[in-house]
Amino acid sequence: MDKLKRFAVDYVTYVVKGSPAFYAWIAFLCLFILCLLYGTYLHAADGLRYTGLTDQVHDGLYLANFVFLVGIAAGAVTIVFPAYVYHHKGLHAVAVLGEMLAISAVLMCILFIISHMGRPDRLWHMLPIIGIYNLPNSMLAWDTLVLIGYMLLNFIGGFYFLYRKYTGQPLNKKFYMPLIYISIVWALSIHTVTAFLLNTMPSRPMWHHSMMPIRFILTAFAAGPSLIILIFLIVRKRTRLWIENSAIDLLATIITYCLGLALFLSLSEIVTELYANTEHALGLQYLMFGMHGFTDLVPWFWGSLAASIAAFVILLIPAWRSNYRLLALACGLAFSGIWVEKGMGLLIPGFIPTPIGEFTQYLPTTLEIFVTLGNWAVGFLILTVLLKGAIGILLGDIAYAKSTQAKTTSDAAGVSATPELT
Amino acid sequence: MKKSAILPAVLLLWFVSLSSAWAEPAKCFESRKGASEVTQRMIGENLPNVKCSPKTGAVLWWGDPFDGTMPMGDMPIQDADYTRGKALVKPRSDKIGLLPLCGNTCHTGTLPKGFPTNKDTRELVMMHQAIVLDSTKLPHGRGNIWCLDCHHSTQRNKLVDHRDKPISFDQPQQLCGKCHGEVYRDWREGIHGKRIGEWASTGTKRWFVCTECHNPHNVQHGDRNRGFAQHQPEKAPSLPKGMKTADHERHPHGTSDH
Amino acid sequence: MTNKEKICNSQHSAGGCACSGQAPVETPVDEPSSRRNFLKNAGSLSVSSLLGTAALMTMSDDANANMEWAEWFQGNYRLMSEEEKAMARARLERRYSREYGKTVTVDGTPPQEGVLMGYALNIKKCIGCRRCAKACVEENNQSRGKDQDIEWIRVLKMEKGEFSQEKMNQGYPEGLGIQVGGNAYSPAGVVLEGEHYYQPEAVPEKDSAYMPIACMQCEKPPCVKVCPVRTTYREADGPVVIDYNWCIGCRMCMSACPYWARRFNWSDPNLPKEAMNPVTHYLGNRPRMKGVVEKCTFCIQRTRKGRYPACVEVCPTGARKFGNLLDPNSEVSRIIARKNVFRLKAELNTFPKFFYFMD
Repeated sequence: MDKLKRFAVDYVTYVVKGSPAFYAWIAFLCLFILCLLYGTYLHAADGLRYTGLTDQVHDGLYLANFVFLVGIAAGAVTIVFPAYVYHHKGLHAVAVLGEMLAISAVLMCILFIISHMGRPDRLWHMLPIIGIYNLPNSMLAWDTLVLIGYMLLNFIGGFYFLYRKYTGQPLNKKFYMPLIYISIVWALSIHTVTAFLLNTMPSRPMWHHSMMPIRFILTAFAAGPSLIILIFLIVRKRTRLWIENSAIDLLATIITYCLGLALFLSLSEIVTELYANTEHALGLQYLMFGMHGFTDLVPWFWGSLAASIAAFVILLIPAWRSNYRLLALACGLAFSGIWVEKGMGLLIPGFIPTPIGEFTQYLPTTLEIFVTLGNWAVGFLILTVLLKGAIGILLGDIAYAKSTQAKTTSDAAGVSATPELT
Repeated sequence: MKKSAILPAVLLLWFVSLSSAWAEPAKCFESRKGASEVTQRMIGENLPNVKCSPKTGAVLWWGDPFDGTMPMGDMPIQDADYTRGKALVKPRSDKIGLLPLCGNTCHTGTLPKGFPTNKDTRELVMMHQAIVLDSTKLPHGRGNIWCLDCHHSTQRNKLVDHRDKPISFDQPQQLCGKCHGEVYRDWREGIHGKRIGEWASTGTKRWFVCTECHNPHNVQHGDRNRGFAQHQPEKAPSLPKGMKTADHERHPHGTSDH
Repeated sequence: MTNKEKICNSQHSAGGCACSGQAPVETPVDEPSSRRNFLKNAGSLSVSSLLGTAALMTMSDDANANMEWAEWFQGNYRLMSEEEKAMARARLERRYSREYGKTVTVDGTPPQEGVLMGYALNIKKCIGCRRCAKACVEENNQSRGKDQDIEWIRVLKMEKGEFSQEKMNQGYPEGLGIQVGGNAYSPAGVVLEGEHYYQPEAVPEKDSAYMPIACMQCEKPPCVKVCPVRTTYREADGPVVIDYNWCIGCRMCMSACPYWARRFNWSDPNLPKEAMNPVTHYLGNRPRMKGVVEKCTFCIQRTRKGRYPACVEVCPTGARKFGNLLDPNSEVSRIIARKNVFRLKAELNTFPKFFYFMD
């Protein structure tokens, strides 16, 4: 217990100290978090009336970000899988960072769901014994289950790893490896279930096709690693932790394949829907070309398509992929392209037209945008804290052996300081 | 202010506030304007007899569906689904103001000398032009019927069928059904026409009779759509948030949509 | 009015919320045991200091703030015992009567034996007057006002269709000649792409047909399947109902409904006192609260007592028919037997109990 207490104390004391740039980043995030607090107060007191949501388009920014972030959380498996199943050295060294990302992404998902719900004070109605948990029928119930499970898996697995590294003890393989294997499969399930959440409803013909889970997994494995590569590049620059090129290169390869396949699926969808151009294709038509004078989504669609194609082209050409500046650009383009494609490109046009043929538009309000940014800020804050702590432990800066109050700088033990497995 | 002036001032204020409650009670029509009006009043605690639409003056809601009704009475039963006493109608006779006089004035049963004694179609001059403009061109039946085919020639407060049997104004279906048999059968089944009250097949219902919805004097009027006059519609639903007009969904008749 | 009520009301109107943490101590006339009071007070005292979110939600200025704590924690209606159900309804009666200043009854009549409620609508007769939508609002206590207007019935105006000689040569040339005829995309008849916001001077218009849509009360409701907390369910006598106190506002049911039948309370409903219908049912037209879904319930507060739904009674052309599908003598059964009926989106296998027909 004493070790655990020291772990907590050392972790926290390490994390709260940083450079001025670090504090500036935290302050920047806190600005948005303040907006979030105000927005959440308004939602709790007055309901969702200050959003742009209507009975026609009743799921907007909040659910779109939820869907996207489940993908990011699932994307952490692109580190864990090669690291532990294929023993990829470069990724093995930093696998725990992927788990930290997964935790913060799932936390953001939960925050977005709470923003989205009409009655967050009634969330206890979903708990199994004191409430009603509609399994196996309700996909949302499944989604909640797998998300909480995934977060727990990553939390327990990640912090177990960090704690063992902190105390210098070897990992108990019999405990740790099953967790890892389960979390790999579980990661696939979270985004599949999220896809099932949308595609099992024939009332929404734009979503009602079997391609959705595949597309979700592919875009998750394109957007997730994009964010991870950007984080790795920042970690390289800002901390003493050096992440091997092989790690980044493998992730870039994964993004290339998945982004390419996702673009292929988009092409397939466009051809299938627009060839016969039935009433079921109206949502896609509205998205791509606008309808009845509503064209607000059209630039988003073509912009995201252009961004994804540009990212794919950059990633495809080996000389460009290995140029990390261009790689960063490609990752940024892929991440934002897929974000737009999930939100504006999938969720919103699914509601337009309504099942009985009404065309409307959805215009998020300023409050909605700030609450969204605030939720992201909370996520990034947690991510920053978790990554900082994890990096500190990986570097050996936080170690039980040196758990004194004064912070001592240690020689960079380097990346090879992975815990020994018995 | 003197204390003695306060009480009269209070009383005055009370009377003024009451006067707004004594404003003209709302009048609304049940099915067609001018023919089936009811006056709103309270029939219980927080229970008005009807709720009226502020936009069109139509009745939107009945507090008591059987208010002012009487049993329908005899009706030829052939797989009819009503039980006597459970089918109610709202009598119309008392609303037709001149009806009691019809038998006593002008049409006393004794025909004046020189008047035709048959039921052939003829032009009515200076009589009932407000109801029917040209009696030889009754817009009902395309020249096949005229006034005396429905109205009793001697008992003018009654209708009449093809066998000269008098029919009450409160039971017009006994006459209308003679020609409009298929509609009459559907009406007896509850498929055509309107009923309010209890939905069970053995329940009590108020049946709306033919003339409560259809005006037999001008069913073929130009702007009628299937024999039913045009009405002012109620207000459209509110536009969704952020939309200012509904112009996006209006398109000139017959033009392409996409 | 007890002293407590007077204090509660005056503090409430001053914006204070001291009363929200305690259940009023007055004993309603019909409550026999003081043990209930004791338990209620004990329960409410013990939890009155918890839950920040709940406290936030009671800080709004409207009368919903005076919700008793027991109401916050009540379970799902279907799983309650008869006694709990009665207590829940009595709580609501007290709250609504306070809020609206009239004697409000919250009925709990259970499903009737041998009844399956069905509906038939004659689309030949509908003239698009929208009185059904407004009568429904008069009966069912929906929110009204700018950005808060809720109507459960939506009437579509559809074109009769016009095919013209002029358009014969206006097809889309697609490479190898005209492949799409010029008269394509001209809507005609029953299509679910009608106008929703038509407002002519008089209806019916010559070139139009009308079709109202509301909850179809499906036998296999997609909304029931997706609800994560099973707050919406199909009652034994047919209608699909919602326990408004259990709904968490996730809006999955709104996505799943193929008929766009469900509405959401985006904020505290605005229901003027004089417009409130005090005869309510727990699963039907009792006033809702923010953040919950609502929809047509076939006027369960009327139909369980034997009366037609409000929309059926108001329709001036008698286009709407309602009855017991299990009774061969009911109007709806006769319509199904004699006329040709169809259901919307039948290919989705929702099996609605709302039929459309023409005669």
